[in-house]
Amino acid sequence: MSSELKTVAVRHQNNAEIRLESIGGLGANLAGKMLAEAGVLRMGLNGWNAASYGSEKKGTPVKSYVRLTPPDVQIRGANPIEEPDVVGVFHEALFKTQNCIAGLKTDGILVVNTTKTPEQIRKESGLHTGTVVCVDAMGISVEEKTRVNTAMLGALCRVVPILDPDKVRDVIRDTFQGKYPGLTEANIRTFDRGYAEVTVQEFPPEAGEIPQPFVRPVSDFGYQTQNPGGIINTAGNSVLKDMSASRQGFLPDLNLAECIHCGNCDQVCPDMCFVWEPKENEKGRTFMFLQGIDYQYCKGCLKCVDVCPTSALTQLREEDLYAEEHSVKHDFPIIVG
Amino acid sequence: MAISEQKIKTTADNTLQEPVIPYEQVIDFRSGNEMAARAAAQINYHVMGYFPITPSTEIAEYLDEMKTHGEHDMVMVPADGEHGAAGVCFGAAAAGGRVFNATSSQGFLYMMEEMPAQSGTRLPMVMNLVTRTVSGPLDIRGDHSDLYSGLNIGWPILLARDPQAVYDMNVMALRIAEHADVRLPVLVASDGFFTSHTKRRVQYFKNREVVQQFVGPAPKNYPHVLDPSHPVTIGPYMNDPDLMNNKYQQSLAMYRAEAIYDQVAEEYAQISGRSYPKVDAYQMQNAKVVMFILNSAAETAKDAADKLRSEGLQVGVVSPNLLRPFPKQAIQKILADAQVILVAERSDEFGAHGPNLTQEVKAALQELGSHARVLSRVYGLGGREFYPDDAENLFRTAWTVLEGGESANFDYYGVNPGNPEAKAAHTRLQPLTKEETTGFVSVTQDASTGALKVKVPSLRALTGKAKRVTPGHGACPGCGIFPGIETFLKGIEGDVVVLYQTGCAMVTSTGYPYTSHRVNYLHNLFQNGGATLSGTVEMFWERKRRGEIEVGDDPTFIMVSGDGGMDIGMGSALGAAMRNHKMIILEYDNEGYMNTGAQLSYSTPLGHLTSTSGVGNGRYGKTFQHKDMPQLMAAANIPYVFTGVEAFALDLVRKGAKAQWYAQHEGMAYGKILISCPLNWKAPEDAGTRIVGAAVKSCFFPLYDVEHGITTLTYNPEDKGERVPVEDWLSQMGKTKHLLKAENEPVLQEFKDEVERRWQRLKAKSENPLL
Repeated sequence: MSSELKTVAVRHQNNAEIRLESIGGLGANLAGKMLAEAGVLRMGLNGWNAASYGSEKKGTPVKSYVRLTPPDVQIRGANPIEEPDVVGVFHEALFKTQNCIAGLKTDGILVVNTTKTPEQIRKESGLHTGTVVCVDAMGISVEEKTRVNTAMLGALCRVVPILDPDKVRDVIRDTFQGKYPGLTEANIRTFDRGYAEVTVQEFPPEAGEIPQPFVRPVSDFGYQTQNPGGIINTAGNSVLKDMSASRQGFLPDLNLAECIHCGNCDQVCPDMCFVWEPKENEKGRTFMFLQGIDYQYCKGCLKCVDVCPTSALTQLREEDLYAEEHSVKHDFPIIVG
Repeated sequence: MAISEQKIKTTADNTLQEPVIPYEQVIDFRSGNEMAARAAAQINYHVMGYFPITPSTEIAEYLDEMKTHGEHDMVMVPADGEHGAAGVCFGAAAAGGRVFNATSSQGFLYMMEEMPAQSGTRLPMVMNLVTRTVSGPLDIRGDHSDLYSGLNIGWPILLARDPQAVYDMNVMALRIAEHADVRLPVLVASDGFFTSHTKRRVQYFKNREVVQQFVGPAPKNYPHVLDPSHPVTIGPYMNDPDLMNNKYQQSLAMYRAEAIYDQVAEEYAQISGRSYPKVDAYQMQNAKVVMFILNSAAETAKDAADKLRSEGLQVGVVSPNLLRPFPKQAIQKILADAQVILVAERSDEFGAHGPNLTQEVKAALQELGSHARVLSRVYGLGGREFYPDDAENLFRTAWTVLEGGESANFDYYGVNPGNPEAKAAHTRLQPLTKEETTGFVSVTQDASTGALKVKVPSLRALTGKAKRVTPGHGACPGCGIFPGIETFLKGIEGDVVVLYQTGCAMVTSTGYPYTSHRVNYLHNLFQNGGATLSGTVEMFWERKRRGEIEVGDDPTFIMVSGDGGMDIGMGSALGAAMRNHKMIILEYDNEGYMNTGAQLSYSTPLGHLTSTSGVGNGRYGKTFQHKDMPQLMAAANIPYVFTGVEAFALDLVRKGAKAQWYAQHEGMAYGKILISCPLNWKAPEDAGTRIVGAAVKSCFFPLYDVEHGITTLTYNPEDKGERVPVEDWLSQMGKTKHLLKAENEPVLQEFKDEVERRWQRLKAKSENPLL
């Protein structure tokens, strides 16, 4: 396979620190593992791979880390990668809630699953300098009935010099052959298309520019500000969180003209997204009326569509800004601190 | 990697020939947990008694998976909790075979009373401690607070600093445990996540015969309970003066383990090419400043040492591979010329002016008459990362002291004061008003019959009732937990105090500094909610009696638990039921330990696939039938027991209302709701309501309640002509698809027979108030 694009980042030829930014369920963890395994077992490199761990569930942000070095270099630390050479963003919506490019080196490579242009992604991510690589991994994986991870691996192999696409492809083949043999060929195709269908643009630093040093974030909740015992006295403050990055391409669309206000959607919604108001009906009696959906919390499970007895709720392929423009916000009685 | 070139040479100069590798090894890319499982499978232990806990759970999962590939014959017993798991191990060890276990954190503490019992009874086994922070607050990430609790249990402790060492130490551990001079259970401790979940280049023996030859056959000449020709009494009642002599024997055996370690490590180096001196010394030539530090962080410190050495600072790193017995003389020898020693510890020993190893290092130096200054720093608690620049900072602190500067003898490294200006620290929701949660549902008692009459409005009207759980929680898309809990809570009027046992609902709704609870919420431990909430309830009534609490209406006390919590916490819950406290226990059952990665629970039905009940190599999923907790609770003769699902919403609301009435007027109510887990049921995210509905209609999960012992079916699919075959339910989930294949027909039939038997018994109960 051709690797002419790799010249964009020859600076990272001998080793690479790669961070994959994703949400649980897209296969970033497996992708990181396959990359590192290809490096260690097939490219003759030394390598290390880990994922962020916490209480993360499906749909919540996760990171996978891959360190690759020449074979004789020891990798001693077990700490996550703070200043990567390469960031792979599996889920574009993460730019809204996460600093995906945190610490990315000024000459780093940002690979994003998106239908947008590198210039648009540069703006959306806040990237200043470096190389932006766009690939429609979602589109490819929908067509191939696979996950985005193998398409992202293809794109990464295209632009990261240390990665040998043939070796990564071999690992993908072996991984799927062992567990899901029926998916092997589709994943190889997905990988090849991810490799082929990249759009790359380099944004060099301006002359005389001094790169900002990486600063490790510090928690607001320190030993002088935490309540002793870890007690949380801010009841219900999870309403401040934005869960919209959990959606994987779909959301429920509400057509109020068809709604009979039965309440089924509200009852099965795991994320309390439905907003109601008491109103008088035409006979002057007060009833609850559905007002809309607060998409800030919607994870796109579509249970509401499943239980809707009319066609008021339907599944919609999410487009940019749709949720923002159609959200009906909950009127929570928030006391600002 | 575990062994630097330099170390191999040092060892070789002293004791060994240049290492040769006579046995073929495979190069692979694996994590610590994978390597622990690999070693155990190659040894082919007889029995593993275990209970899932992060981050050690994977070891059992990998072993389960390896079993479906025919890679070992170990019998794996999923215990009812770690205390039970340790009991399984004790009993199995007393029966003369080889025993293995793995645990972490609370699991280790929960089995703690078994630990000295096992060592004091001199029953060898090997357990992996994959270290993790001890609660509370609950933190699943890695530090050594669990390990430090184990320093006194009488088990030799081997430290495994990386995945390679996890494998190697596991192979060596069994030899040491079973050695005639030792005969003690041995702990192999590796760092949770830092080692357990990170993958590195590793080697292991291609043929397990190599490992089996190294550990040898299980020694036969020790008493066990399976030899009728030599009856023995294991575990007698032993007071003074005898017990002290027992302990002296044990103490001698522990100290003998040091020489045995040397011997085994040397033999292992001969076959593997990897050597593990008792104490790993790095850059110690003329080192003036030394960091004494355990396990994975020591490797990070070595990078910092290299950097500082290149600047001309004589610094080194000392890190024991053997922690118990404490290799005192080796440490004295290595530290003899050090001038400042910084002992960095991933645990505190609160109030001791320096944690355990600070004291042990100081004690060792004191015997030498050393005048070295010892600094003590607690770092990396709760999984806080330890970066190379952190190690560098610690070295520089010690170097400053060497040069005459001052620094505290004991301190924490890596804490921060916080930002008092942060608005998020104070932003919250107003408390719920009475109007928002009252006036929707009514329960009245018929004066003549005593029967409860419940009035609930439509779901539409109930949308006006405020939810006690707020959005922004982190449950998976399509998770059934909160719809289940909130539907139940629609039936509850007024104030509630909730206690959540550890599980998905707890973890996803209270991730610091956020909470999704608008009401008073309490979490204690995984298994102790029944007792904990009992205490809260009784304190409420007593403080009310003393006039210390002004409340209009009494709150309703509700414990929420997953089916996992209701396994490990069954005793605590049944105890609370026996005492009949005025509270509700609501169990959300998703048929597995989903919070830790979908291991089987006792509620997992027969044949269902989980991460510890695999399918393949003649295995068909879980091997025993599901627990019937509602019937266990009914047998406790509490006033009210019910079942419910979100698919039958108003039925569940009504039961919530009844449960509240009983919990306010009589005593305990228990209810179990079946809720969907799309991720681990391998089902579409939008399918949860349908699937739990099918579980009801198939009669696997009948809807009923038991009031004062009288069973009522609240929905009978047969009467409605809505009963569906069990297969219609099972076919909707990936975890049960295999049961519909021809080869699993006998298992499916066995399961269907059990569903039918339980359904017929339930119907009989509903038809006869005496049953």
